[in-house]
Amino acid sequence: MEDLYREHILDHYAHPRNWGRLENPDIVADADDPSCGDQVHIEIALDSTGRVEQVAFEGEGCMISMASTSLFTEYIKGRSLEELAALTEEEVLTLLDAPVGPSRRRCALTPLVALRAGLQRLKG
Amino acid sequence: MLKVDRIRADFPILSRQVHGKPLVFLDSAASSQKPLAVLEAMERAYRECYANVHRGVYTLSEEATCSYEEARDKVASFINARVREEIVFTRNTTESINLVAYSWGRSNIGPGDRILLTEMEHHSNLVPWQLLAQEKGAELVYLPITDDGFLQMDRLDELLDERVRLVAFTMMSNVLGTITPAKELVERAHAVGAVVLVDGAQGVPHLPVDVQELGCDFLAFSGHKMCGPSGIGVLYGREELLEAMPPFLSGGDMIRRVEFHRATWNDLPWKFEAGTPAIVEGIGLGAAVDYLEGFGMEAIAAHERETVTYAMERLSALPGMQIVGPPARARGGVVAFSFRGIHPHDLAHLLDLEGVAVRAGHHCAQPLHARLGLTATTRASFYLYNSPDEADRLAEALEKAARALGKEA
Repeated sequence: MEDLYREHILDHYAHPRNWGRLENPDIVADADDPSCGDQVHIEIALDSTGRVEQVAFEGEGCMISMASTSLFTEYIKGRSLEELAALTEEEVLTLLDAPVGPSRRRCALTPLVALRAGLQRLKG
Repeated sequence: MLKVDRIRADFPILSRQVHGKPLVFLDSAASSQKPLAVLEAMERAYRECYANVHRGVYTLSEEATCSYEEARDKVASFINARVREEIVFTRNTTESINLVAYSWGRSNIGPGDRILLTEMEHHSNLVPWQLLAQEKGAELVYLPITDDGFLQMDRLDELLDERVRLVAFTMMSNVLGTITPAKELVERAHAVGAVVLVDGAQGVPHLPVDVQELGCDFLAFSGHKMCGPSGIGVLYGREELLEAMPPFLSGGDMIRRVEFHRATWNDLPWKFEAGTPAIVEGIGLGAAVDYLEGFGMEAIAAHERETVTYAMERLSALPGMQIVGPPARARGGVVAFSFRGIHPHDLAHLLDLEGVAVRAGHHCAQPLHARLGLTATTRASFYLYNSPDEADRLAEALEKAARALGKEA
């Protein structure tokens, strides 16, 4: 079995963390890749200090995009809006803790694409 | 059956390993591999007789022009065009179709006219017509497919009337593998006075094609899918039509005389070949035609039919395998499928680790996938250099991938 499909990735795919929807999200973030059918919907609720209190997601797609989003939802809890805005691609790729080749980079970055769209909408 | 071992020896890339495993290349429908005959012809052209073509009065240019134009003759004879003027070199199928959409389409399609396509078209035979229809106020209508991937020919009567000015369809679906009843479609379209463009991107590399027998007005295909290089494609057009059409791209080489405020056009086919063409790629395509003709397209088609019949039997035996499209007897060397709910990207990735190269996605046929109720499929496609053993390797790799992902049957 190749490195990319490691146990923890399979586990996050089979048992996604923070699956579902929130009552009153402050940020709603979507990514949609019509070419491979990957769809991710992330909802974020902030606490009174503006940090991520709750996060939930639903989606459909390949193992890498789903596992990456599951890991991502864990990772962003407790972070401020500024910290969310400053998240880098490399940081998100690191979450998978597996070698992501160029052909799967886009899959792994799906949650970040969604988050950035959501933050943009918040500003707009 | 072709002697696959001997054929494989002609393709240097097929002896390489990928991830430590012998390469099983099953993506020829996207682009085929190249035989030594093509590689050597191109290298020889660059090493020995390269210069820009046409109008050169020195030896090298004359030799280059001669080789390039000889390739046109080879292509003309390959598809049995009536005259060499009917063979226009383009970059690929897409450019060939765009040439027709812009040049013929912009001067022949108007408001209320209809363009009849089929539900199984590749984006390249769909988007150019969408743009044309939007610009001219014309309407696109679609010949539907059956659930098992045949064209619903019994719907033609209601769809084909005098409003239809153009019928454009593929000779072979790049997803379903379906070989369409091209001749019947041409005849039915001509009966209502429509012009017919056949997308031969999949058909010409894999089936015997005779444009005079087929009777189509235009035929578009690519060099790179038929053992030739990328960057060279062909538009066949009936001479009267090409003659009457305005230029598409303009500039050098396509003109006869240029003044400050006007210009006149070169003769066919050069009227449609603006700028320095893909000279060496054209020569490579000529070599590819020679190579394929060495076996004969009948033999290649028969070989693919046998290989795909075996592959479909082998794959169908895997639990959780859903193949899209018609039975093997009705298709070329293409098998697209869904397998145990595994996303095609995951599947293609894991197959690659076993050295098996397949394509994952919508294969530039999103509307067709929507019609099939799928977002994406995994596609294996076979060519003259593929053996039934490779279908076994594919099936084994699929089982292994499923095990790795915890998706045992």
